[in-house]
Amino acid sequence: MVENTNILGELKGIAGDEHATSDKHIMYAYSYDMCFVPNKLPKYVVQPANVEEIIEIVKLCNKTKTPMIPVGANTNIGGLCIPKQENTLLIDLRRLNKIIKIDEETRYAVVEPGVSHAQLAEALYSKGLRFGWPVGPPSGTVMGCALCHGISGMSGRYGLNSQMITSMEVIRPTGEMCRVGSCALKEDSWHSFLPLPRMDGLFTGWFGTTGIVTKIGIYTPAVPPHVDVVTTSTEHISEMYKYMLEFGRYEMADDLTAVNWWLSQSPIPYPYKEKPADEHKWNSYAVLYGYTEKELEAKVDAFNTVVKHQQELGSSVLKTEYPEEAKRGRTELPSQIIGSTKNYCKEAGGGISWPGTFTPANKWEEVYNKWEVIYKNRNLSPATRVTMYRGIHYGMLRAMTPINKQSPEETENAKQAIVEALGAILDAGGIPYKPPTDFNIEINKRANPGYLKLMEDIKDMIDPNGIMNPGQLVVR
Amino acid sequence: MEWDFRNIDDEGKLNLKHFFWRCTACGTCRSGYTYGPPPTFRKICPQGEKFGFQGFFGSKGKAALARWMTGCSYLTDEKFEYTPEFLNTLYTCTECGGCQNQCMIDFKPHIIDTIEAMRAKAVQDGKGPLQDHHVLVMSMKNNDNPYTGPRAIRAKWMKKISKTSNLKDINKESSPVLYYAGCTPAYNAPVRDLALSTVSVFDKIGLDYGALGKKEVCCGSTVLRIGERDQFERVASNNLEQFKWLHDERGVDTIVTSCAGCYRAFVEDYPHSDAYKDCMDGIRVLHTSELLYEKFKNGEWEPTKEVKMKVTYHDPCHLGRHLKEWIIDWDGVKQWEGSYLDCVDKGVFEPPRELIKAIPGIEFEDMKRARNNSFCCGSGGGIKTAFPDWAAENAAMRVEEAMETGAEKIISCCPFCHANLNDGAKVIKSGCNTMDLIELLDKAL
Repeated sequence: MVENTNILGELKGIAGDEHATSDKHIMYAYSYDMCFVPNKLPKYVVQPANVEEIIEIVKLCNKTKTPMIPVGANTNIGGLCIPKQENTLLIDLRRLNKIIKIDEETRYAVVEPGVSHAQLAEALYSKGLRFGWPVGPPSGTVMGCALCHGISGMSGRYGLNSQMITSMEVIRPTGEMCRVGSCALKEDSWHSFLPLPRMDGLFTGWFGTTGIVTKIGIYTPAVPPHVDVVTTSTEHISEMYKYMLEFGRYEMADDLTAVNWWLSQSPIPYPYKEKPADEHKWNSYAVLYGYTEKELEAKVDAFNTVVKHQQELGSSVLKTEYPEEAKRGRTELPSQIIGSTKNYCKEAGGGISWPGTFTPANKWEEVYNKWEVIYKNRNLSPATRVTMYRGIHYGMLRAMTPINKQSPEETENAKQAIVEALGAILDAGGIPYKPPTDFNIEINKRANPGYLKLMEDIKDMIDPNGIMNPGQLVVR
Repeated sequence: MEWDFRNIDDEGKLNLKHFFWRCTACGTCRSGYTYGPPPTFRKICPQGEKFGFQGFFGSKGKAALARWMTGCSYLTDEKFEYTPEFLNTLYTCTECGGCQNQCMIDFKPHIIDTIEAMRAKAVQDGKGPLQDHHVLVMSMKNNDNPYTGPRAIRAKWMKKISKTSNLKDINKESSPVLYYAGCTPAYNAPVRDLALSTVSVFDKIGLDYGALGKKEVCCGSTVLRIGERDQFERVASNNLEQFKWLHDERGVDTIVTSCAGCYRAFVEDYPHSDAYKDCMDGIRVLHTSELLYEKFKNGEWEPTKEVKMKVTYHDPCHLGRHLKEWIIDWDGVKQWEGSYLDCVDKGVFEPPRELIKAIPGIEFEDMKRARNNSFCCGSGGGIKTAFPDWAAENAAMRVEEAMETGAEKIISCCPFCHANLNDGAKVIKSGCNTMDLIELLDKAL
């Protein structure tokens, strides 16, 4: 960083006096998220109002070699927006909160970075459309979730939220604005990346290290009028896997997920509590939609056929009654009454994190059995979820880990459980998502050297001064 | 008389610190959202919307301030010190409770207490309240009201009352009902008609009631909101003793007020006194709208004159979402110690609406943000005193929302909201002014 530069003064000159600050108590409020990553105060926060101001800010950061991190709602659970270096500037994008366009006919929308799930949900619903709502808080931003490969209640059929992005506008780390996808060819056309080269990959999954995305187009499917949630339970994860494998091949569930007993409690027991012997360890739900009653009936028939077949093979799988509240929790998204704010971390208090991974489904059992031991040894609930995306093409395996943030000892205990669990998953070929820096160190240790070299080259090319969220991916 | 308000740095089990550390920073508090269907998304935090940065926004911001202020930011080497900017952040919260209505975790019941405890700590440390609040505090010390008006003119509004009025001087005569007018109608000229309208309506329905006149003393709400606990406790103790005397010597069994701030103080803050049960035994506190609705339901009166007007209703925070009975598992019998289980809504939401709708000729439509998700007018928490321009600017947003319903008038039940919403209407040069429910009812009788 270049010293003796009045960076705060310049930021105020760009965004206005009231939209830039270095007040310590405000810096403290930006210094943490839900997870265990230690607080670190940024030096400045600025809230630009438009793309032009962002460009000016980025140019200032280049001139002064000031590290910068773009921030949405700051509700992630991986410390992604917590500075890793001194004198970091956070660019809080919440003033860019317009839903620029909803194309009802061809079903896509264009949003700015500050648009929350709650805001978009209201706007889309009025037009009979929906998006991939996560179980995170409604205040989380649509763009933040999508760019970080967030998942949703539609990922079973449609994939990750990043796979629903159709176009984007980006401010490069050197201050140039660029567009990727159809909007690069026609300003008001945000329908598709294809058949152009997929340069969006330079900005998704990079956690703000390669640019500041200022607009995205997203696919917004219609809301089907008919919905059902079908549920099962099994004693063993192996039986649950087999049921999900067979049902998953139909590729008809928007969400095909199983959770173990600890995660199905509301909230997750903290500390560890023994599961009652008379309750199955695994419960699954599949969210089925139909645009006609017959379509939905056919899906339910397929579910019944699969369960029957699994039972004939000797599985303990049973169809179960799903509590009405839980059913609403699966279909009424985004929700303020489920997910991370209530179910997950309420009992521990203050925090949540995870070894959250994409892991081949045929490795779930092997990894989960190790996790159960790790978590029990640390007196923590192994509150685990497995989900199949796009049928069985890839799957999610994660253990929601509540944290008592008031206690440094308990926070460290939870962190160590996560780190140990991470080791098991990496050994099995899983990949952590939205990983804190500590995880990235582990990932990079195992990564193909050519993969890392390519990342370094891209980072050097696109961010020559190394100022965008430096240290997050631990490649530069 | 002892008072048991909690302190921000109390030690021991299940203190405020325990609860503000249970904030997950999820940010659900930032906006008013319900799934529906259809889903609804509304701005809910006046302070956050105005000042933008995290730290200003919702209960997530207040938890951050509390952690920072109490030095329990163990994960950072930085140390707390008072700065003008910190105090500005602390004192630009309207304490509306909009964030509290969104929160789903154990911090929920303790959010407003946390804000007021931080302010009390600032006062205790000689750093708070803000300079602009000092005139209010001095007035309370010298005049027993926050408006710098001398005690002698507190009862001036009563001079306009007809000699045929039922209103008694309760210092001298017995009556079952004490009309506690409050300081705002007594000293704040733009809403002075509120007290006169109350008397007019009470007379028209034949109520037997009395007032304290010059002997009325401020409820203390305004000073409590800015952290001046000593001043609050002084006037509140005086009031509690006076209420007991009125019950014992003058037969008062009902205290009725037209002020949402006084009402909130009596039912939510006064129970913090160890003498509350003794002093208030046999006395119930009602807002005017509750009393009138009760008698309306019993068939004791009804609005008879047609008032052809389209109106909407603004829920005052102090008469609405602030009024909750929190159900907390203090002993951990049902969940865990200190867990938030549920709340019983005691907000006075329906009586005003039912009374409005009972008026012949009235057309009523609620605003998009209503009841527990009402948008604060921007006047509370000491804002009108220290930041009058912003208070009016915020009120203007509320007036615009009211105008979206097509309403010609906003009806409310709080003289603070009333005055501030009218200031907001001036900002945007809107004719959609606010009138108190009691003024509307007076027209209908």
